[in-house]
Amino acid sequence: MFTELDPILHSQLRLAVMSLLIAVKEAEFTFIREKTNASAGNLSVQVQKLKEVGYIEVAKQFKDNYPQTTCKITPKGIDAFEAYVKALQEYLHAGKGT
Amino acid sequence: MPDNKELTEQESLQLITEMIQKAKSSFHESGTSAILWGTVVAIAGLTNFAERYWHFDIGFNIWFIVLAAFIPQMIISIREGKNRKVISYEESSMNGIWLVYGISIFALNFYMNVIPGASDRLLASEGQELLLRDLKTGLSQHYVPSVMSAYSLLLLLYAMPTLATGIARKFKPMIFGGILCYVFFIVSCFTSSTYDLLLNGIAGLTCWLIPGLFLRDRYLKGKHC
Repeated sequence: MFTELDPILHSQLRLAVMSLLIAVKEAEFTFIREKTNASAGNLSVQVQKLKEVGYIEVAKQFKDNYPQTTCKITPKGIDAFEAYVKALQEYLHAGKGT
Repeated sequence: MPDNKELTEQESLQLITEMIQKAKSSFHESGTSAILWGTVVAIAGLTNFAERYWHFDIGFNIWFIVLAAFIPQMIISIREGKNRKVISYEESSMNGIWLVYGISIFALNFYMNVIPGASDRLLASEGQELLLRDLKTGLSQHYVPSVMSAYSLLLLLYAMPTLATGIARKFKPMIFGGILCYVFFIVSCFTSSTYDLLLNGIAGLTCWLIPGLFLRDRYLKGKHC
């Protein structure tokens, strides 16, 4: 019996965001946009979804009179990401076995 | 990057690897701080050496440029902080290590300036003084000892890894233990070696034993979950 893949993470852009954030302590929204090549609108929606499920923390502040959004993965997000990778490995190992 | 694309397991794993690699390749040290401190310390050291070796005086203590270099360093740090879009875990830990190094350099300078006078006063309070006798003339003169507080240096060494670990791991008991150890270090510069030993013992409790008990408690709780 396979573990079901987390539908929140099993989406290209959200998975890309989480993969970036798992490797760093925190990152600005502009950095994530640059690395994912996503549009600001689309990225904003996906970041909001990740925030709603508690996988990331989003902090908004002003830096030199410009709004700055910083994202950071939460312990819940780390657990979910690890579980997702583990589930992926199960699928891949099963694929190799057949 | 579209969001609604259906990913295969292989594609998911590939995407994760690619993004982690992209994140890792984003960290580049500017090297500005290393260049600044390398230049300043080299100029100060070589000038001071030249003064002693060729017997001349430039009229001021060249090592003051090291203190002056903290001003451009602060400007560099603020500027780099403003341009930084991402903070890595490694960078965060390194900041802790260099912060501890900076505090320790100040503490060591404090030590070198305070210890001779403090040692002299401690000896005088016990009705003693050190004399330096010239073997040729037989004349003795008052001698101010330069190093009399080896236990203070131990306290300084205790503080360094403790505070750095506390900052890197965001572990408050070790941050507290490390700061307390710096306080003990300052106090020990003015106390006799007997009390320095007492401070060393207390430092063992605050730097490692108490944080260790917190870690043990956390470990046991995690084990039973």
